[in-house]
Amino acid sequence: MISTFFGQDGLGSNAALALSLLLGFGFGVALEQAGFGSSRRLAGIFYFRDMTVLRVMFTAMVTAMLGLQLALALGVVSAEQIYFLPTIYGAQIVGGLLFGVGFVLSSWCPGTAAVGLASGRLDALIFLGGAALGSILFNELYGVVGLLASWGDSGVNFAWAALGVSGPMFALLFAAVAVAAFWGSEWIEKRVAGAGPYLGSPFLKAFSVVILAAAFGVAMLPPAPSARPAAATETGLLQAIEAGEDHIEPDELADRLMAGDAALLLADIRTPNEFAAFHIRGAVNVAADLPAFLAPHKNKGTIVLYSNGMTHPAQARDALARQGFANAYLLTDGLQGFMETVLKPVSLRETPLPATHVAKVNAWRAFFLGSAPAPVPVPAGSVPADGPRLVETGWLQDNLGRADVRIIDLRPQPAYNGGHIPDAVRMDVEHFRGAIAGVPSMLLPADMIARHLGLLGITPKTMVILVPSDKLHDAALVGIALERVGHTRYAILDGGWEQWTAEKHAVDSRLPAIAATDYPVKPGTDTFTVDYRTVLSHSQEATAVLLDVRPADFFTGKKSDEARAGHIPGAVNRPYTSDITTNNAVTRLKPAAELAEAYARLIPGKDTPIVVSCRTGHQASQTYFVLRHLLGYHRVSWYDAGWTEWSARPELPIETSVR
Amino acid sequence: MNSNSTPTPAGPRPHLNPYLAGVLLGLVLLASFLTLGVGLGASAGIARVGAFAQGCVMPQHVAHSAYFGAWGNDPLRYYLVFMFVGTLLGGLVSAVACRRVQPQLERGPTASRGLRAVLALAGGILAGFASRVASGCTSGQALTGGAMLVTGSLLFLGAMFASGYAVAWFVRRQWQ
Repeated sequence: MISTFFGQDGLGSNAALALSLLLGFGFGVALEQAGFGSSRRLAGIFYFRDMTVLRVMFTAMVTAMLGLQLALALGVVSAEQIYFLPTIYGAQIVGGLLFGVGFVLSSWCPGTAAVGLASGRLDALIFLGGAALGSILFNELYGVVGLLASWGDSGVNFAWAALGVSGPMFALLFAAVAVAAFWGSEWIEKRVAGAGPYLGSPFLKAFSVVILAAAFGVAMLPPAPSARPAAATETGLLQAIEAGEDHIEPDELADRLMAGDAALLLADIRTPNEFAAFHIRGAVNVAADLPAFLAPHKNKGTIVLYSNGMTHPAQARDALARQGFANAYLLTDGLQGFMETVLKPVSLRETPLPATHVAKVNAWRAFFLGSAPAPVPVPAGSVPADGPRLVETGWLQDNLGRADVRIIDLRPQPAYNGGHIPDAVRMDVEHFRGAIAGVPSMLLPADMIARHLGLLGITPKTMVILVPSDKLHDAALVGIALERVGHTRYAILDGGWEQWTAEKHAVDSRLPAIAATDYPVKPGTDTFTVDYRTVLSHSQEATAVLLDVRPADFFTGKKSDEARAGHIPGAVNRPYTSDITTNNAVTRLKPAAELAEAYARLIPGKDTPIVVSCRTGHQASQTYFVLRHLLGYHRVSWYDAGWTEWSARPELPIETSVR
Repeated sequence: MNSNSTPTPAGPRPHLNPYLAGVLLGLVLLASFLTLGVGLGASAGIARVGAFAQGCVMPQHVAHSAYFGAWGNDPLRYYLVFMFVGTLLGGLVSAVACRRVQPQLERGPTASRGLRAVLALAGGILAGFASRVASGCTSGQALTGGAMLVTGSLLFLGAMFASGYAVAWFVRRQWQ
């Protein structure tokens, strides 16, 4: 089984870069040998006088296609190890139409132009300069055309699946079309230009036969190679899941473990930390490379997988079944189910138990918890830690479907409707803001926020997970809204929606079923919002670090979209964008150590009073989250009204240059 | 086969049989699938060079721009940039070895240099822009995605040739 750089998340490593250089070299040689260093030759396909492009391209596609299908069918490489391009209908059709025009005008495309430049072609150099300019143009117009690039995103989507055939079968069809196209191209070239050098030649006859035979051979291979018990076919797998044959009940597991069943292998697939905090007696921890670990137990005895919930082990179990494991089961309702069914003390159970069952529960508890009747230990990670924080996608995946977790998706509604994390509700950050006392974009009063939370079915015990897209400060501002009503059980999904989809976690487009609650309003929970009087006093007496997080040009007064330009006297500038980093479209906070160092240079100590502000309080909410919850500064205040109010009150002093 | 014919010492060697060149290209692509785990690409390399060049002139603007900004401070440290450099080197070695390096502005016998240069530039701008819209070009979408049998990439391939043939007649003079 090949493990690719993509599969190991190592495309950025030096080895991958060196390999890319080498593969590029081969790419260049192949293109040059095909004669693609000449624009005249490339243009030939559009005038039917030289169909080389069609022959090279189709042959290359068929070769790689058959090789890939063969590798997948033989299990040389698994589909997870390969980055399959997403299908984005609007982007690819519109982009393809535009690209075709560019191609015929210039008679170059990016790869061939590189080879053309190497062959001394001046027009290739002009094309490459133009292509770089076109890319810059795209960047400049991204606000307008950016939507186009994601218009009609339907994820990974194969043509063969749309036609209801297998990949190898589609490849056979494609190869047949390609061979027909080869003969057609030779014929048409002969008609138009008197060429068509291979028409009817022994070479083309032999080549056609070889391609069709290879495609036929690949199509006839059985879909998966390894020992294939019934459950390994896709339908068999689905039937087994449907019938619940892939589950083992907690009480059955408990009995078999107590009986010392040697044929039973219990695998805890949570993180080592969670395992160390608590695990079912007799379990082994397998945090990585499950198939390799379980290989010796394939189809021998019984393998039971568990995690906190069900999703993660279910995925792992399906993957194992596809690899021919017919003896992998998952624990119904995971560790939570085990706690409920096996370990919960009789006294805490809702329904009275018959005496025989009481004895059984006590025996289970004695076995799994030791003789001391200790309270049920809470596995770390299964119950969300209190307090605002970042949470990993893996945690959320394991805790999907919990009644005490509410996911709030902060992306625009069309994006949400197109697919969201299962059971996520959509809210807009602007639902929590309004004009208050004449100042626009102020956070709503606590009672209005509480009403919103109630409509989302949130109670004070709910763990709220905020899912931003690339605007982390959207999540931070909703976090501040939660804190205004005293709700600190919330977390921001690290990497947001983009990280979730990059890891190909589940996405759903159904609306969740929500029962409204009555969220109680407690007075006096917001102790962090300050008004301009407090800020003015800090400014005049230098009693706090005034942190202005707007972009530098607005801070200095070079740019302005408010009543006056500049900043609060004595304020220091640390743009909120300095705290985030975007990689492969995933936006997240920079590492805590890096942020700690940067803020240590601006703020004397963890007890120093700090006031964060921006234009409307939105961007500043992100800095508030960083300072208060990530770095542990205790005395952070938030000037919600911000520069919008300050600049529009002529009596307040301003500064316009950097101190 | 013309690939086996003896070249004259001074002139360029004839090109490889296109079907065998295609097999060679397909094998390089397959090797990329099985080692890197991704396909071949060219336009992203050019776009990143563009981002780098713009960043030299307007560093703040690029760092805060929505698309290029996401590529960080060092847009050139990316596998497709290295692949693009490799493509240039591979093309150079192959062209030199087969004596096919010919400095010229390639055009039709009666076409003007100006017309050809303008069309090459306009086509370049369009192709560069379009490959950002579609996240790929002939290599990264049509060839790579096509070989993966990805629906959208096959549509890209079809759309590309459809519009190419539709416009070909209007720009035929550059090759006459």
